Amino acid sequence: MNRLRAFLSALVADWRLQALLVLALLLGAPLLSPGTVQIASFVLIAAIFAQSINLLTGLAGQISLGHAGFFGIGAYCTGALVKTHGLDVTLGVPLAVLLAGVAGWLLSFPAKRVRDVYLAMMTLGFGMVFFEVVREWNSVTGGTMGLPGVPSAALRTLSILGVKVDGLAYFQLLLLITAGTMLMVRNLTQSRIGRAFYAIHISEIAAGSIGIPAGATKQLAYALSGALAGLAGALYAHLVGYLGPESFALPRSIEVLVIAIVGGLGSIAGQVLSATLFTFLPERLQVFAEWQFIAYGLILTFSLIILPKGIGGLLFEPPRFIRPRARARAAMLRADAAMLRPADQGAALEAERITMRFGGLVAVDDVSLRLEPGRITALVGPNGSGKSTLVNVITGIYRPSAGRVRFAGRDITGLADHQVAAAGVVRTFQDPRLVPHFTVRENLLLGAHRQLRHSGVAAVLALPGATAEEAQQLALVEAVLALADLTAMADRPIDTLPYGTRRMAEVGRALLARPQVILLDEPAAGLSEPEMERLTQLIRDMKAMGLAILLIDHHMDFLADLVDDVVVLDSGRMIYRGDIAGMRGDAQVIAAYLGDEAAHA
Amino acid sequence: MKISRRTLGLSATALSLPSLVQAQPATIKLGFTAALTGPFNEFGEGINRGAQIAVEECNKAGGINGRMVALAEVLDDQLVPDRAVQNLRRILDNREIVGLMCPSGSGPTLAIADMIQADGRPIINPQAQTPAIVYPNGLDKPPRPNLFSISISNTVESEKLAAALSQYSRVGIVHESTGYGVTGAELVRQELVKRKPGLRVTVESYNQRAQDMTAQLVRVQRANAEAMLVIGLGADFAVIRRNMSRLNMNLALFGAAGAVTMPYIEGAGDLVAGTRAVNHAAFGRRPMHGAAAKFVDLYRAKFGTDRWYGQDAANPLISLAATVGSGYDCINLLIDAIRRAGSTNAAEIVQALDQTRDFEGATIQKISFTPQNHVALKLEDLGTYEMLKRGDRVVLELRD
Amino acid sequence: MMDDFFFSLLLAGISVGAVYALIALGLNLTFWTTKTMNFGQGSLMMLCAMLTVFLSSQGLAMALAVFGSLLVVAAFGVFIERWTVRPALQASGGSMGWVVSTLGFGIFLQGVAAKYFGSQAVAFPDVVFTAQDFVTVFGQYVSLQYLVVLAVAVALILALELFVRKTVWGQAVHAVSLDPELALVQGIPVRRLVLGSFMLSSALAGVAGVLIAQIGGTVDPAFGFDLVLLGFVAAVLGGMGSSMGALAGGLLVGIISKLVGGYVSTAAEHGIAFALLMMALALRPQGLFGKAEVSKA
Repeated sequence: MNRLRAFLSALVADWRLQALLVLALLLGAPLLSPGTVQIASFVLIAAIFAQSINLLTGLAGQISLGHAGFFGIGAYCTGALVKTHGLDVTLGVPLAVLLAGVAGWLLSFPAKRVRDVYLAMMTLGFGMVFFEVVREWNSVTGGTMGLPGVPSAALRTLSILGVKVDGLAYFQLLLLITAGTMLMVRNLTQSRIGRAFYAIHISEIAAGSIGIPAGATKQLAYALSGALAGLAGALYAHLVGYLGPESFALPRSIEVLVIAIVGGLGSIAGQVLSATLFTFLPERLQVFAEWQFIAYGLILTFSLIILPKGIGGLLFEPPRFIRPRARARAAMLRADAAMLRPADQGAALEAERITMRFGGLVAVDDVSLRLEPGRITALVGPNGSGKSTLVNVITGIYRPSAGRVRFAGRDITGLADHQVAAAGVVRTFQDPRLVPHFTVRENLLLGAHRQLRHSGVAAVLALPGATAEEAQQLALVEAVLALADLTAMADRPIDTLPYGTRRMAEVGRALLARPQVILLDEPAAGLSEPEMERLTQLIRDMKAMGLAILLIDHHMDFLADLVDDVVVLDSGRMIYRGDIAGMRGDAQVIAAYLGDEAAHA
Repeated sequence: MKISRRTLGLSATALSLPSLVQAQPATIKLGFTAALTGPFNEFGEGINRGAQIAVEECNKAGGINGRMVALAEVLDDQLVPDRAVQNLRRILDNREIVGLMCPSGSGPTLAIADMIQADGRPIINPQAQTPAIVYPNGLDKPPRPNLFSISISNTVESEKLAAALSQYSRVGIVHESTGYGVTGAELVRQELVKRKPGLRVTVESYNQRAQDMTAQLVRVQRANAEAMLVIGLGADFAVIRRNMSRLNMNLALFGAAGAVTMPYIEGAGDLVAGTRAVNHAAFGRRPMHGAAAKFVDLYRAKFGTDRWYGQDAANPLISLAATVGSGYDCINLLIDAIRRAGSTNAAEIVQALDQTRDFEGATIQKISFTPQNHVALKLEDLGTYEMLKRGDRVVLELRD
Repeated sequence: MMDDFFFSLLLAGISVGAVYALIALGLNLTFWTTKTMNFGQGSLMMLCAMLTVFLSSQGLAMALAVFGSLLVVAAFGVFIERWTVRPALQASGGSMGWVVSTLGFGIFLQGVAAKYFGSQAVAFPDVVFTAQDFVTVFGQYVSLQYLVVLAVAVALILALELFVRKTVWGQAVHAVSLDPELALVQGIPVRRLVLGSFMLSSALAGVAGVLIAQIGGTVDPAFGFDLVLLGFVAAVLGGMGSSMGALAGGLLVGIISKLVGGYVSTAAEHGIAFALLMMALALRPQGLFGKAEVSKA
């Protein structure tokens, strides 16, 4: 099965075969009956519509039960502009796409604050409200009577820039548009944007820790998804020529969701196959009509269980998130880990009198801390002493109840987590939060998100500048892989690899975010002896680069030879600050924490 | 060698026979898409049955000039406009189809109207009521050349309803929020105001399947309406009727044709007594006119006293006309036109249809079309009925 | 006259609000134990009503018909938990899976009902009281059938609150709602509780279906779908998982829709509920009675 998958994936990804397929369809279309050409046009529109769900739900993980709304906005916008106001289709369609994108962006404001069931509800509400508005807004949408007379290919009333376009020519045009859209979606998936979408899907906090802003990323996802759905809707309008509100109600939202899920979220080829299936089948199998609800229902109920990754998951390999061309280019570059050394001399991070209260509980009580470049500080203390909370305060996940955090002369107290990371303060987590489906390499490249400065447009169009930049970062990734001794398993999905490897990968990812300060939360937990040795070496290398390092850990042996000084917390208070030798002898520390270990030290 | 004239004659005939046979396919093929399954299949399956009866009757009598008729393309759209569009494309691709019937419902019919007009082949509308289907540019402009209608048009229905309602000074209209409801309500309102300029009309809309119509009803009540008209489907009408009894609303109640169907009777039970409705007069008149009686007998013979016919063999449901009879008449009209045209050429059939004069249909006693008028059902083909309980059964009795 | 107008709308709002509350209560039950809600709840309502019609038309006494249908529907609840919700929760897809699979099962049931009972609306007989039975409140007629719904909803809330606060099983359910893994480790029979919650939730859907169908007078395969959407709105507005919230949310949605319908425009009556939903989710996602979720980063 895996060989078949590999074969099919290679087949679908081959640009020559793609071009051949498009060409064959373009030239072969005149030989088909007009009815078949029309159905095929519906298939293409459904495929584009499914991509909008693919993007929002598959990549960014935001469920939508109201996407018929964006589809409808696109359709009615171009319908009204072209029919009522006489604009040409070449203006009407792009404006419709723009409007739908703006609508998506607007929806993202309330939507990005909720998730899961609440998000499903909100998008459902959006779809229903849109439907009601369409039915009432007679002057624009024609209300319940609908909008007839939209220039349409099926009715031979469509002309673009003065040239008459019939059903066949429209299909050929649609084919080119669909192919182009698929290419752009694929480029997007393999760009920093696609990786960022997936990152916030898996863990917004982990994404924030390397500088990916959850809110702004979600907004982009909604805007793009809305625009894609709007494009599908606009093309639909000029195919059928008549727009009635029933075409943009809940069943349409459910239908596209079904197509996208059965196709396999994340798989572009799978979506196309699924769109073909769900458009052709009802039409060809007329007897299917009576069983349709039953079949539909069964498919919806069990598809996620039987085929969790859909048709795409069955037939193809999982999509990858790095552009092959960038990889090829990177192979020719050589990068040295020393290039990760911070550009400036490095600055100190000062946490002054941090207090953190959760209701009545004081988690951190008046703790001050200073991290110098090129020095490793350990933060130790019994469980629940406030270590992770302190790190969360420093990195912007919590705003402290009192105290300030300063870095490189700036007051960074209360900045959002991604802003703190952007400033150069990066952390890892007690529980490695990586993207499970990504390979080690992809996870590491995610760390370099902020270093990729090329624009979204360049990413989507895969411009040479964007590819060059990605190649540069990939070369650095290679260097870090070598540093962390991960090269051998670089292209294996991280959820198939052992805990120790994941831990190292997370540190590597943090490193690629070009931090000046790095905070490692229990990095040695769960590691075997040899793994701990590698980690120690990596930390030493980081020290040599001039980073300021904070280590939370319990392994005294691990810390002993590594750290320069240590801070001990107990019940939120700092009870010792100094070097490790002194700590072992300190009575307070022994009482609070070390207990018998002092005897073994 | 002398070839006898007879041989020559025979040979000539023999040589020309193949070309005669090749020139015309054996069967005359008709096609349509309708809501055969799904929540609205009462209408779609209905016209399917009507069409079947018409075709069987025609073929039994020898067909059209010896050629049999067949329903070659019968497709299901479940009243979904997109599917109707796809289905119609498939039907139109079949060049052997010479005549068509419109789908049930205004939504799908509006969606395909431009398509069929561009194609040119004749199509007859059995049920959809929106005027724009026949007259896309307004009632004072010419109709679509190849589209004819025998349905109860909203314009005619509104005239009849307005005639019944104009005796009151304050009227409430409650309609479903679909094209059918919106247009119907607007047309009745216009008619009423035209007949009686001082008449006050309150118009409220409801969503299909709404569970409670109190807001609509109290607004009608607040306007002190003396009579109320409901434009919508039977199940919703039942909800409204029950709601009225909860609010202790007693005013004259009228329903449009789509409202007085079985679901209304089933849902509102005894409460339906006194409801008045406008519907086809054909099956309410006693005795029924010739074609109506014949159709009713044919239906009963083929399908029995089923859910379309009703349980009373002597008194079929009035709605049988709209649900089934209309399909029967559509096909018969096509057959008649093809027979008169003597050809299956689209333009010639359309011309023959335009020349239809006093054709006796089951739902309409005299069907006539002219190039300017493609709506056959007139005011006298509609009747105002009153619903009564006779024994344990609810009947519709023709009043006017 | 204006007062009458207002009171009629208010009472209607309370009546339909009670309906939404009853549905929301059913939805809440599975939310307690699994943090999921059955998006196909409407079809269970419809199925129970249609089976009742079918069984009573076969000669069964009404009470038996209703009871039998409730049993069938409860059995479906078990099926839903085992085959649509549990596998979806276990799959790594995340939260979205069960939304889709429960929705799908609802559509499936709708298709089955359409195939075997027909697509047309069938008469639903009176089970408790008749359409004409009413009491007078402040001079307004209040349908007894609606009062039954309200009474059942309130009784349920009381029963559920008592159950959760006072009984051992209730506290076990509370534990499961907070942390199922921990509850399991403590020896609480989580599996049984989850199954029970689904059975009860489905039975409640059936009860709601029967009580509501008798008010409208007819039932058809699409019955319940739109009502459940409004039930969701009620649940979210009141706070998901909160019994008091279900009642408060339901009444709020019902009253506001009716008042808007009566004073502004009947066309807006339906849409306003969803506008409320979006606003509530944007401003106060935890609803009136829910607790804002705070989880450790």
